Amino acid sequence: MIAANNTSYLARIKPGWKFGALLVLSIALYLITNWTVLLALFIFSAAILLSARVDFKQLRLPLISITIILGVVFILLGLQTDWLNALRSVLRLLTMCLLAYAVSLTTKFEAMLELFQQVASPVRFIGGNPAQIALALSMTIRFIPELKKVYTEVREAQHARGLANNPLAVTVPLVIRSLKIADETAEALDARGYDSEPAKRRF
Amino acid sequence: MSRNPSSSQTKNTVYIAVFAAMIAAMGLLPPITLGIIPVPITLQTLGVMLAGALLGPWRGAMSSLVVVVLAIAGLPLLSGGRGGLGVLLGPTGGYLVGWVFGSLVIGALFKYWVLRRTGNAARFASGLAAVIIGGIGVIYLFGVPWTSVVTGLDLRTSLIGSAAFLPGDVFKAVVTTLVALTVHRSYRGLMS
Repeated sequence: MIAANNTSYLARIKPGWKFGALLVLSIALYLITNWTVLLALFIFSAAILLSARVDFKQLRLPLISITIILGVVFILLGLQTDWLNALRSVLRLLTMCLLAYAVSLTTKFEAMLELFQQVASPVRFIGGNPAQIALALSMTIRFIPELKKVYTEVREAQHARGLANNPLAVTVPLVIRSLKIADETAEALDARGYDSEPAKRRF
Repeated sequence: MSRNPSSSQTKNTVYIAVFAAMIAAMGLLPPITLGIIPVPITLQTLGVMLAGALLGPWRGAMSSLVVVVLAIAGLPLLSGGRGGLGVLLGPTGGYLVGWVFGSLVIGALFKYWVLRRTGNAARFASGLAAVIIGGIGVIYLFGVPWTSVVTGLDLRTSLIGSAAFLPGDVFKAVVTTLVALTVHRSYRGLMS
């Protein structure tokens, strides 16, 4: 689910704070056992989500599937332990879900990626390359439609041989063609003098 | 022409990106139903297993990690078009973490064990074992306890719940082993 152009107050808070608050609240939820407090937190999280002016159409399917899962969990837990315990568990899960949606739908994708890159920047000290990670992330997005196309082409070609539903007949060509695409792309990047080494520090 | 280090780093980055895209693309494909298996099989873990078996421990694990990061950041890359933080914090979040370690283990087993065996039977047997250990054992090792922690259900219930996916995952493990061994034959030096 993508935070299209959210205009609420939540969109203006930096992603790091929202993420951090979510993690802290998640831990807190598991430490709290009083069901009235959990209920209050659930109402609080519903209020936050409602005030976030999110695109509720995007939430329809996820909410339906989470309701089904929670229904199953509630019944199983209630039968195995007691109904109060089941209520507590469902309240916790729902609260976390709603808060997670609130964060996801009010944070731009690019902002999330930037946050991840900041969090991952210490890998520099263990030999990782943050620029390489950033490149891998954006290259992946660019490759997804291309690979889907390759999959479709391979399936059609194998369909002509009556092999469209044979997993090997589809997967092996898909993998080999993907590797070829990878090799060609790497060569093209190198030919343009792309330097993926981090700049050497001078002291 | 001599290989300089930056060109192989570029190549590794591109390989990681291509396989991450493959895992993502497999999530966009509809689940397939085999007559004998009751639950429709999602193809995404097939990509996770292949990434480990073909790229080795580090690049395979990075491919899975890239997909998980992109999905958590909001892209609808997980089976069923799911994405966002809620998936990680929800009942199935552990499986996502398991993907990274699953690819790592499959890659390590392939690099240091499977590919050193000779003969088709030995390679297939060890390959299948490697994919099952990494692609099922490790992934469930992260997924099942996480479900228990998040939902409050006990481990036995979580385990039983995940058992429905076992036949599909075994099927994927077999396909992965056969595909990986075939590709390694034609693409020598893929994991040296």
